[in-house]
Amino acid sequence: MTNLLQIENLSVEYKTRRGIARAVDNVFLNLEENKTLGLAGESGCGKSTLGLSIMRLVPHPGRINEGKILFNLDESLIFEGGSVEKGQIDLMQLDDNQMRAIRGRKLAYIFQDPMTSLNPLIRIGDHFTEIIQAHEEDVKKDEAINRGEEILETLGILPERITDYPHQFSGGMRQRVMIGLGIALRPRLLIADEPTTALDVIVEAQILDELATLKKQFNLSMLLITHNLGVLAQTADDIAIMYTGRVMEIAKTESLFEDPKHPYTQCLLKAVPDVRKPDKTLAWIAGAPPDLIDPIPGCMFRPRCEFAMEICATQPPPLEKLDTGQRVACYLYTKGVSKK
Amino acid sequence: MPTLTHELDCELKLVLTQTKSIKGIFLQLAPIRGTFEGQSKRWWIIFIVIIGGSLSLVVSLILLAINSNSGLGVHVVTANIIIGLIILYSDIVRKRVVKYKLLSQRLSILLIAGISGVIAIITMGLSIFFIPAAWIEFFGAVFFGGFVVGIILIFLYEGFPILNVYKSSGWITIAGFLIVSAIIYMTVVAEWIVPYDPFTLNVGPLLGPPTPQFPLGTTSLGQDLLSRTIAGGAIMLQVAFVSVIICFSIGVPLGLFASYRGGIIDNTVSLIMNAIFAFPGLILAIAIAAILGPGVVNMALAIAVVYIPSYFRVVRSRVITVKELPYVEASVALGGSEGAIVSRYILPNVIPSAIVVMSINFADAILVAAGLTFVGLGLPIDVPDWGWDLTFGSHQLITGAWWVITFPGLMIVILALGFALIGEGLNEILTPKLEKGV
Amino acid sequence: MIEVKNLVKYFPVQKGFMDALFTREKDFVKAVDDVSFKIEKGEIFGLAGESGSGKTTVGRLCVRLTPATSGEIIFEGQDITKIKGKQLRLLKRRLQITFQDPTSSLNPRMTIGNAIADALRLQNIGTRTEQRKQTEDALERVGLSPASAFYDRYPHQLSGGQRQRVIFARAFILRPAFVVTDEPVAMVDVSIRAQILNLMRDLQKELDLTYLYITHDLATARHICDRIGIMYLGKFFEIADSRAIYENALHPYTVGLMSAIPVPDPKAEKSEAIPTGEIPSPINPPPGCRFHPRCPRAFERCPKEEPELLLVEKNHWVACHLYSD
Repeated sequence: MTNLLQIENLSVEYKTRRGIARAVDNVFLNLEENKTLGLAGESGCGKSTLGLSIMRLVPHPGRINEGKILFNLDESLIFEGGSVEKGQIDLMQLDDNQMRAIRGRKLAYIFQDPMTSLNPLIRIGDHFTEIIQAHEEDVKKDEAINRGEEILETLGILPERITDYPHQFSGGMRQRVMIGLGIALRPRLLIADEPTTALDVIVEAQILDELATLKKQFNLSMLLITHNLGVLAQTADDIAIMYTGRVMEIAKTESLFEDPKHPYTQCLLKAVPDVRKPDKTLAWIAGAPPDLIDPIPGCMFRPRCEFAMEICATQPPPLEKLDTGQRVACYLYTKGVSKK
Repeated sequence: MPTLTHELDCELKLVLTQTKSIKGIFLQLAPIRGTFEGQSKRWWIIFIVIIGGSLSLVVSLILLAINSNSGLGVHVVTANIIIGLIILYSDIVRKRVVKYKLLSQRLSILLIAGISGVIAIITMGLSIFFIPAAWIEFFGAVFFGGFVVGIILIFLYEGFPILNVYKSSGWITIAGFLIVSAIIYMTVVAEWIVPYDPFTLNVGPLLGPPTPQFPLGTTSLGQDLLSRTIAGGAIMLQVAFVSVIICFSIGVPLGLFASYRGGIIDNTVSLIMNAIFAFPGLILAIAIAAILGPGVVNMALAIAVVYIPSYFRVVRSRVITVKELPYVEASVALGGSEGAIVSRYILPNVIPSAIVVMSINFADAILVAAGLTFVGLGLPIDVPDWGWDLTFGSHQLITGAWWVITFPGLMIVILALGFALIGEGLNEILTPKLEKGV
Repeated sequence: MIEVKNLVKYFPVQKGFMDALFTREKDFVKAVDDVSFKIEKGEIFGLAGESGSGKTTVGRLCVRLTPATSGEIIFEGQDITKIKGKQLRLLKRRLQITFQDPTSSLNPRMTIGNAIADALRLQNIGTRTEQRKQTEDALERVGLSPASAFYDRYPHQLSGGQRQRVIFARAFILRPAFVVTDEPVAMVDVSIRAQILNLMRDLQKELDLTYLYITHDLATARHICDRIGIMYLGKFFEIADSRAIYENALHPYTVGLMSAIPVPDPKAEKSEAIPTGEIPSPINPPPGCRFHPRCPRAFERCPKEEPELLLVEKNHWVACHLYSD
């Protein structure tokens, strides 16, 4: 298996009036082809920023500071006034036009809120036409609409509804349309940022099912960003846990849930309620994450961690691979560090 | 959302929702750019040329006048600058005092007030002693001119670092504020710096072109146009301020209570307001001014009637959003009385939007006031006013006397521009701030 | 403690000008449609359902934030739907509500001390010093200590969990007897949810409270509720003890709702019974049983006849024809 996406040493900073906040800090990630990588963490951990920086769409006060986003392009893209060669390319090196050619065609992004992501004034069909024609100019309108109808059908929406306006759809339907628009150009990578958070559980379950089917059908790779570990347990192949902009642990889904290594992951799993285990007592993590504008030295989880040692205050622990396959950023697993 | 601090969170949400709702993320194929934040080079050049031109025109008028003024002009301006510096210094002291926690932020304002009072008493004493005949006018020019200079300096000293953060929108506000306060300053000290009495006829040739003696030329009655241009802003500003005060104090409470209550009251008031709104503004103002007759207050009233609906509509739409917010609902659930909820929870959220309308209202009021005097409905004929000069100038233009119409016209444009810039800038700055906590 | 009888809330639908001109009859959103239930003193009653089920409207009706269309809400022996004026203001001291989003529930321009003290000010209780004293006590009680350090902070300077605590402090400072909490942990990070739920329990014991806990998240409801009612399109489908709902759900909708909740266990078996489709519009709910178009076990009686909420087991009420014989 080759890596479709490889993120190396990525850092994103936001300039605010109070100071500089490092929302993503030295992140390394790999996403294999046809796999789903879950990106989990609590609000403010930088998971959405990470997703947006892959699209190079970090909003204004933010800036990608350093790092590489290597993307394995399966075909050369030629567009008016330029081209992108196939092979492994660094998205950070592309200019705006090249990036625009890749966005939508090879990379797709789905936002959390389906209510505001569609233009209320144009029909669903026109959404499809617009995005398809933006990348493939020779496609006729009818053809684009036909493609849209096909996609809607796979998502369980009647094809004749393509002439409807967004307000005629319910929240779940709109999110399906968003997903449909995302995959309209057969992208390689679908980044879904909390795609089901705004929806009810039943619709959430339906859409997750459909996403799984689509993934198979279109050979998609997926980056699923969510705060809900329950969702990831059902859908992801690997999970990366983020905290204050840093990756704390990356592991196969099974091993993460069965044998979480990082103290933060352990606490998080103890706090997640499970409807099938009603007698589970929910734990919590005391305190709050540190202020990103005024970060603490060493491991950011240290003030809330029960295993904190002296070394934790010195510098951030590196992400190291264990014998069991997980990768953890914690001194508890670093050889040569005395455990208390 | 990506970052920890709430502040950042909301800023991001705002940027995201804006771009999303405008275009839809898939259709938006270009990277996100801030709306006002990063302007092109061309924009900045145009901005600097227009603002620099306007400001330097106003300043050069003042300098020209002082240069050919034979009376106390230089002394008044010097005194103004000294007083302005003293006020600025007292503000710097105030900041120190607050920093070392000797006084609270609120009480420290009293420090500036106190120092200003002392200056006022000293200047009053001096002016009574030296110019007993016209001490009130002299004191007014020296003290209030100084006060305006002080405010400009404080604004630059304190406001500049804050506004600078907002990039172009901050610069727009600064520019607008500078233009408006320069014209206000010019008007306040007009009486003392003008080379000739703006009323006196035949100080020079009839309809003479600009010469070193009369830098802007003379009118068809032989008045010095420079003096008239400098003194002509007073009425315009008075009308604008009075009408804005009337509009604000009627439009805002009306919007607040009608839309908070809702139902039939809201419907009725909205209907009336929309009816006024549907009328062409200038024509309505002309009609009302014709009924009321000439005079500053009447003119202000005529303009106010036209602009009350704008306040009403802005306040109403804001109230309707705010009153559904959970924290307002929470205060309803706590059993607060209507008055308390409106004044403590809704009003503070409405004021920023009203202030934006206010600064745009200023600009409009000036144009309407000029229009009213231009059609001859505003003022008695012997008052120096840009509108009047425009009327007369337009009659003389055919003889090739371009100057009579040009300079008063430019001043009206510059003053309106100044207010419009403040409005535009504040709109950019205050609106996102409003959304912040929401 | 609080008894709701035949409560109905219809919201009129705003129509376009032409529609209003040509059709006489008005459309209504039937948010709450003939609902009756009882909450015992000292109980935590959970109200669960999807968005559009009318659960939030029930909560708002119970604290008189929205006037009812018809029906009765009997609280401490009197029907509160008809109370007006000064009496209503005094009543509001006994009834409180907290909203879902802790951020927008606090005025961004007010310090949190003022926000809490304002509850007392709006009710004209005590002098300034007494108000401050009580506010500081309330801050300490919800775990924001030292209170003086928090008193002058603004909401945006606090974390989400801390803001939720401030909201509890504000709701409890008037010493209410009955509190409606609308999704108190939905916007709070997972890692501190249990802490907030514990705080709610502690406050309940300390102040002798009764809660109506509104939620869409059945997974956490389990950890706090004594009884749970499941709502769908303005109707109750099932009311039972919390344990019974989780272990012995009877209504097909409840079963579907439970099976759709994501389980944090990769080895968990995929549930098959996820209902198809989405919750229909409450303007024209389906005839008969409102769930029948989506119900896997619907039979010919369901579209014809509306099932009644019947007691089928001890403390277990279900509105379904499967159990009506």
